[in-house]
Amino acid sequence: MSTMTINGRLAPLPDDPDALLIDLVRDALDLTGTKLVCGAGVCGACTVLVDGAPVVSCLMPARAAADRTVTTVEGVGAARLHPVQKAFMAHDALQCGFCTPGFIVEAAAFHDGWRAANGTALPSREQIGEALSGHLCRCGAYDGIFRAVADACAGRFDGGEVAPPRMEARDKVTGAAKYTVDIRHEGQLEGVILRSRLAHARIGEFDFAAARAIPGVGAVISLIGDDRIVRFVGDPIAAVAAKDRRTALAAIAAIKFSSERLSSAVGMDQARKPGAPVVFEKSARKKAGNVSEGNAAPATWNGNIRGPSAAFSRKPRKVRSWVDSAREEKNPLLVEGAFRTGTQLHACLEPHAAVARFDGDRLTVHASTQSVFHLMELIAKRYKLGHDKVRVIADHVGGGFGSKASLGMETIAAIELARAARAPVRVAFDRHEELSVTGYRPAAEVKIALLPSAQGELKALSLVAHADTGAAINSTIAALARLIYPADAKELADFDVISNLAPGSPFRGPGGPPMAFALEQAIDEAALRMNVDPIALRKRWDPDPNRQRLYDWALGLDVWRNRRLAAAQSGRYRRGVGVATGYWLYLWQPGVKVEVAVKGGRLIASTATQDIGTGTRSVIANTVAREFGLEPHEVEVRLGDSGLPEGPGSGGSRVTASVVPPILLAVQKLKAAIEQNAKRKPVPGSNAPWRELLAAAPDLSASAVRPEDSRQMAPGIRSPLKEAGFIGMIFGWMMRRFSNLAIGAGVPSSVQVVEVEVDTWLGHVRVVHVHTGIAVGQIAAPALARSQATGAVIQGIGYALHEAREIDSRTGDVLSGGMEDYRIPGIADTPVIEVHFDEGGFDHVLGGSVGIGEVATVPTSPAIANAICNAAGARLTELPIRPDLLLAALKGRAAA
Amino acid sequence: MTPTATTRIQAAEFRAAGTDLSERRRSGVSTGPLIDISATPDTIGMHWEADGRLRIGAFTTIAAIAADARLAAAYPGLAASALGLATPQIRHLATLGGNLAQRSRCWYYRNPHIGCLRKGGSDCPAREGNHLYHVAFDLGPCVAPHPSTMAAALLAYDARIATDRRSGLTIGDLLGDGANGAADNALEPGEMITSVELAAPLGGERALYRRAISRTHAEWPLVEVCARAVVRDGAFQFVRLAAGGIAPVPLRLVAAENTLQGKTASAVAIAVAAQQATAGAKPLPMTGYKLDLLRGVVQDLLERLAA
Repeated sequence: MSTMTINGRLAPLPDDPDALLIDLVRDALDLTGTKLVCGAGVCGACTVLVDGAPVVSCLMPARAAADRTVTTVEGVGAARLHPVQKAFMAHDALQCGFCTPGFIVEAAAFHDGWRAANGTALPSREQIGEALSGHLCRCGAYDGIFRAVADACAGRFDGGEVAPPRMEARDKVTGAAKYTVDIRHEGQLEGVILRSRLAHARIGEFDFAAARAIPGVGAVISLIGDDRIVRFVGDPIAAVAAKDRRTALAAIAAIKFSSERLSSAVGMDQARKPGAPVVFEKSARKKAGNVSEGNAAPATWNGNIRGPSAAFSRKPRKVRSWVDSAREEKNPLLVEGAFRTGTQLHACLEPHAAVARFDGDRLTVHASTQSVFHLMELIAKRYKLGHDKVRVIADHVGGGFGSKASLGMETIAAIELARAARAPVRVAFDRHEELSVTGYRPAAEVKIALLPSAQGELKALSLVAHADTGAAINSTIAALARLIYPADAKELADFDVISNLAPGSPFRGPGGPPMAFALEQAIDEAALRMNVDPIALRKRWDPDPNRQRLYDWALGLDVWRNRRLAAAQSGRYRRGVGVATGYWLYLWQPGVKVEVAVKGGRLIASTATQDIGTGTRSVIANTVAREFGLEPHEVEVRLGDSGLPEGPGSGGSRVTASVVPPILLAVQKLKAAIEQNAKRKPVPGSNAPWRELLAAAPDLSASAVRPEDSRQMAPGIRSPLKEAGFIGMIFGWMMRRFSNLAIGAGVPSSVQVVEVEVDTWLGHVRVVHVHTGIAVGQIAAPALARSQATGAVIQGIGYALHEAREIDSRTGDVLSGGMEDYRIPGIADTPVIEVHFDEGGFDHVLGGSVGIGEVATVPTSPAIANAICNAAGARLTELPIRPDLLLAALKGRAAA
Repeated sequence: MTPTATTRIQAAEFRAAGTDLSERRRSGVSTGPLIDISATPDTIGMHWEADGRLRIGAFTTIAAIAADARLAAAYPGLAASALGLATPQIRHLATLGGNLAQRSRCWYYRNPHIGCLRKGGSDCPAREGNHLYHVAFDLGPCVAPHPSTMAAALLAYDARIATDRRSGLTIGDLLGDGANGAADNALEPGEMITSVELAAPLGGERALYRRAISRTHAEWPLVEVCARAVVRDGAFQFVRLAAGGIAPVPLRLVAAENTLQGKTASAVAIAVAAQQATAGAKPLPMTGYKLDLLRGVVQDLLERLAA
């Protein structure tokens, strides 16, 4: 038998010619730091060293490792942490951490080679970008990775330990962090889902006999709905659990059933045609998914078109008549346009995954989820179990971005298979499933009309949005234009166009980026026509106090003051600067409870939330530590377990604003209890009085529920819903009643100034520099907030320039089902990013902090488009701005 | 997506490093027997002949080709092509022979549920479907561009390929002319590439490689060109342009080459040649942009070669 040496030990190699190195490493040797993501050599998460050279273990046959030396992430820092690991920790060069082991392995090899050849010279950004070009990070931690690799190469992490700003950083850089896909129980089976290959069909009776007869198959179950209709390619039909994936796939292939093909409507254009096949008959409408963070308000359906949802309009008829008149009068200030945005996939690097296990009547589910507590409630409700019988665990989650907020098919299948097989079952989606059926930000077509008055005020605004929601509803794009740029009248109408494509789902600021892409370009165009500085125009039209401060900051940036006009440029490469604004709602979750305890002299904070890479552990630790005058690492944070006190879901940027206030209240109570129980006062003049008191304290605990905010607000800070009048109040009430979300006063805001370079020959846009100004109140964990801010910009760059789900519109097949065809930004696509935090505006919130995740990504795509317009004089109305579309727009300009 | 059992019995496939094949095994596109092949001293590494020729063993990795200083001095276009393809972790594994013999990256071909010419089907679903990344020179029934970057570079260098059965094959002999929609190359069943031979470089020649992509690195080329030139006394004495990403096989841009042959290396002459780069193009409805990119890449390379 042949062998390899792995992390210093000898390991036998399997005889199976199809076994890949990653299978051996993860499954046989349980070295789960190495991650399987794309399975195609694109993303680098599976990178290991073979004889010192980084290779993709997802493509390397296991046999090819015979007599070779393999080092995984566990081996890189086995004796003591590698300088690169310490640098990643210190620079917070990671978020969810799922890509981190691959980056560490590659960066360590690069570092070692660099040091051998160049000593402590600093590598350039270009050199680092090229060396790490085979790695992808969906959170966009590249800004920190650049700094970490450069500093490690410069020898700045050769010595001692580091105290990372992220609590769990050490586990993530060493590969020790266990994600749902890494969970393995004794006797665990692997679940695989049989999915529809037709876009629309009626499924007949099943014959599971042949599938069940295959040795190693533990269960075969139906997943088809009561109407037996499948509505998109990939719609679940049945599922199998078997001893391994290959056996499960064989059983899937052995399931027999008939299917009757129904006529289908794939995508917005087909679904809107008169006489198009209807996706959801009236009785089936409840089966539609939801693309927003809140529940859907009632709306009319007309075939596949749901809408208009126009409650946020104000004097819409006035808008139409003013705009029509302006058009007739050829009013040069009337800006009209049609914008199209692409379908953006979450592309989480950890796939949707769940591991279900029954112990008697108790169900434990490890899930890659954004909401351990709410998922527990949903499971309990669906399977009629008591809350005490269901436990959901998520220690680490490899990205979510909105796609892991509900009870998904991975969890349903795992639970039902585990019940049927009487064995623990893991269901982990493969990459094609992840990139085709787990939701997306719907593409949209946004028609806009913007009319300034003769006095230069904003008179009328019209946004009519059609969203390509697939088998889902509740797009809110136009509605979001109500809460910015007040006008005399607004016509805001949202339509869902339902079709035989997988359902869309909430994605980081649902509706925000497409709204901003249209509105912020229209504002830019208006400024050009009015011959006004685009920031100055926003300052005039947008009275929000948080953004007023950000506009002043942006006006002072050198890159803005020195920008040139498009007309001043010629030649192949053009530089341009653009600006855009974004906002998001300040949301918090009522009922959230945090317990802060002292146990054995150590502080422990607990709540049933989860850290999906956003930094929640660190926000909690920092907040508690600050109150006691301690270091964050002296606080233990317990989360990721639904058995803890009710915690918030990681969606709607709600976590920080939901957990910080109850922490502060609980800390007050705990402090009082500690003082009461103290046998001795601290030594007078002590620098660390609480450390002394805690060390001597008996075990005590205190908890508190998220309080309402203070009604004492800074001037100009109001509830955004009150500004929207009666309908706003209704909307706020509904969100709280049906979605358990409170909409607070004050508006989290972002203004971004972007510099681009356009290669007019090759249609390539390089984002050179981004200044992102963000007002989300006090920053609870500065290094991690910076990571969120830069990651949001990088995801925004992907949305603007690269990302688009591609389909076959005849069959409904998703063609961009691999990471090579669904293109997310790489490290070399990352600009220099300057982050400016304006920390005012939320003093009415206990602790003064609200969430950053969503607002930080809203303005990026229009800021880039405005910069391109400034560079090359062409208005890019369609996303993503790929070479083909950019060249077409430049030609259009040349032809015009 | 769950692959389904294929009723068609597939032929055995050679596996060198497996960087292409492993993905097709995982997805279920490849289900036939595997034959693992490995290097002999003769089929790996650089073998320099006394007259300046270079024979590269087919098992030489792309990383080794990219890192070889002597090769980079003699054949800079080949070295740059090697450095420009895939990712560092792929280049450490992937072999030259495997790069030439790899299968199509077409997203229909790579989907185990969709039939196509390459999988024994009767038509090409990309032709009437979504062919955003497909050919702009529609030369055959299958509209997927040939994926081998090394093949385009070797075409620019007039390389000769040897197999275990034949020798002296041109890239055209190896890959065909695109007329056979069922195959990615013209190798016979069971025939294996063993080495590639390059003639000694011309005196004073320079060479460059460039790919047009939407991101900065690590993307299959929308268009790629390897360009060689000898510019003497301000004139193009020799020009050779080979392009990938645009046709079922790598293409020589003969019309553009002819435009420049013997001409003064002026901006005007280069611009004219760049326009000629698309001579004979037959774009599909969605691939017209590739012609703009081809002109842009050719102009970029020629300007730098003339500088």
